[in-house]
Amino acid sequence: MIRAARSPLAVLALALALVAPAARSEVYQEPAAFITEVFGLLPAPKVLWLTKDLQAQAAAILGHPPAQLRQRYWSDARRSVWILEETGKEELITAGFVVADGRIDHVRVLVYRESRGQEVRQSSFLKQFKNAKLAPGDRLDRDIDGIVGATLSVGAMERMARLALLFDRISHG
Amino acid sequence: MSKSVLTLAVVAAFAAMPALAQTVDEKLQILQQEIDQIKAQQAGKSAAPAPQLSPYSLDYGTMLDRSSGLANGATNIIGYGEVAYSKFRQSGDATADLARFVFGFNHRFDERLTLHSEVEFEHAVVSAEDQGEAEIEQAWVNYKVSDGVNFKGGLFLVPFGILNETHEPPTYYGVMRNQVETRIIPTTWRELGVGVHGLFGEGFRYDVGVTTSFDSGKLDDPLTGIRSGHQEGQLANARDLAVYGALNYRLPGLLVGTGVFSGDTGQNGASNPALQGVAARFTMWEVHAQYRVAGFDLQALYASGTLGDAGQVTAAMFAADPATAFAAPKSMKGWYAQAAYHVYKRGNFDVAPFVRYERIDIKQAEDPANGLLQDPRNDERIKTIGVNFWVHPQVVLKADVQRYETDKTQDAYRLGLGFMF
Repeated sequence: MIRAARSPLAVLALALALVAPAARSEVYQEPAAFITEVFGLLPAPKVLWLTKDLQAQAAAILGHPPAQLRQRYWSDARRSVWILEETGKEELITAGFVVADGRIDHVRVLVYRESRGQEVRQSSFLKQFKNAKLAPGDRLDRDIDGIVGATLSVGAMERMARLALLFDRISHG
Repeated sequence: MSKSVLTLAVVAAFAAMPALAQTVDEKLQILQQEIDQIKAQQAGKSAAPAPQLSPYSLDYGTMLDRSSGLANGATNIIGYGEVAYSKFRQSGDATADLARFVFGFNHRFDERLTLHSEVEFEHAVVSAEDQGEAEIEQAWVNYKVSDGVNFKGGLFLVPFGILNETHEPPTYYGVMRNQVETRIIPTTWRELGVGVHGLFGEGFRYDVGVTTSFDSGKLDDPLTGIRSGHQEGQLANARDLAVYGALNYRLPGLLVGTGVFSGDTGQNGASNPALQGVAARFTMWEVHAQYRVAGFDLQALYASGTLGDAGQVTAAMFAADPATAFAAPKSMKGWYAQAAYHVYKRGNFDVAPFVRYERIDIKQAEDPANGLLQDPRNDERIKTIGVNFWVHPQVVLKADVQRYETDKTQDAYRLGLGFMF
C-alpha cells in the first residue's frame, strides 16, 4: 500500500509546484470595482449615521450590536450600494448589495475568507435574493434555501441582505 | 459689540462653506471629507512609519468604517457541545450526560495559510476511573491557492458521508447521531494525512488524498464494523496507508455526493504479530443526498464496505487473546432515510418533527470451531421519531423515541440540548 501511496504524494507535490505561481487570493472583486460596475463610475460616498434607534434595529437583525457607528453607501436616484461585512463561521464575509426601489437588485460576495462554504458566492445561491424585500419584522419576504455544510455563511448572507434593505429604507428618510 | 462680531463671524463661516450645503446630510458629508483630508495630511506629516497592513486585511476601513478581515496572526475560538438524557425502555435505567464539549482554535498565519483544530472532551470527566475521553478531533493546516485548489495536511476529518465533516448538534436531527454514520461510517472519523480539495464548476467540490489507515490488529468491538480499528492519530501504525476521494455537488437546498476510502489494515502485524504479512484490505464507499424543499428536509445515505482477509483477522484475534476475541467484520452495509418538516418558523424559532429508518448489516468472518460467531445485533433495523426545536440557529432542543428491532435493550426515550458557536 505504501508504494501505491507514493504516486499520489508525488502528484500532490507536482500539483503544488504547478499551481502555486498562478495563485489567486480570496478577493473576488474589490469593493470599489463593484461600486464602479454598478454606477459606471465611483461616486462620492454618502454617510448613514447609526442613531441609537437604528443601532437597535440593526442589532435585532444581526443578533449582535453593529460594529460601525456610521455606514457609507453610494447611491443615485434609484439605486443604493451597500458594502457590508458579517462573520460566517469564524471569519468575515464581505459582500456588496445593490438595492433598487426597496428590493435587492443583486448581491455579490466580494471577499470570502473561510476555508469552506465558498458555495455562497455562486450565482445559484445569490440569485435567490433577487427582488427580495423586507417583510414585517425586518425579515426577508422569502425563504432562502441554504447550502448543506455552509449553514452559518448562509445565515450571514441573509442577515446582511436584511441590513442592506433596512439601511436603504432609512437612507430614503 | 463682541456678540455682534461673533454672530457675523459665524454667518461668514457658513457662507464660506463649500457648495452652500443645504441639508444635514450634505453637511455631514462635507465634514466627513474634511476629516478624511486632515487624517491624510497628518499621516503624510507623521514621522512614524505607517502601520503595516497585511496583504489580505484589505484596507476597506474607509468604505466600511470599521476594521475588515482578520489581522495577521489572528486566532478564532469555535466550539460545540451536547447534553443528552436517555431513558431506556426495557431496563428503566436512565442516564444524563454531557456527551461532548468541543472547542477549537483556528489560526490564520497569512492570506493563504490557516490552522484548524478541535479538542473534544466526552462525558464531562476524564480520568482513569471515568469513561470520559479527551482527544484531538482535528489539527490540520490548509494552504489555499484558490477556491479550486487547497492543500491540507495534518489530522483531518475524512470527507465521507454527511455527518462526518458536519457533525455539530444543531446541524442534524435526533439526540444521538444516526447509527449508520456511527457503526458503519466511524464518525467522527479522522486520519493523519495530506489532501487536495476545492471547488469546480457550479457547485462541485472535490477532496482527494493519502492518509493513515485502520489497524485491524486493534479491533475490539464486534458491533461497530471497522470503527474500533481506527487510529485517530495516536501513534498510528503507518506501514499501510490509504487513499480517499470524495465528490459533492451542492445547490441551494440540494446535496448529492459520494466518497470512497481504501487501504490495507494489517500494518504488518504491528498491533498483532499474527497479522504480519496479512494485507487485510479495507475498502468502503458511500452515496448520500439531502434535499430541502417547501419546508421538507429529506436525507438518505447508503454505505458499503469490505475487509479482506477477515478470516485471518479473526484467527489473529483468537491467537492474541481467546477471551476477548470475536469474529472480525468481513462486510458492512448500512443505509438510512430521513424526513423532517418545518411546521413552525418564526424569528429564531424553528420546529421540525422528523422520522428516520436505519438498516445496519454487518457480516462477520465466523470461526465456529472456536465459538466465534455472528452477533445477531449486527443485523439491525432502527426507527426513530422525534422533533428538533431550534431556539436560535445555533442552539437546539431535541426529543426523540428510538425502537431497535433486534437489540431491544437500546430502545429509549431521549431529550437533548445542542449548541455550536
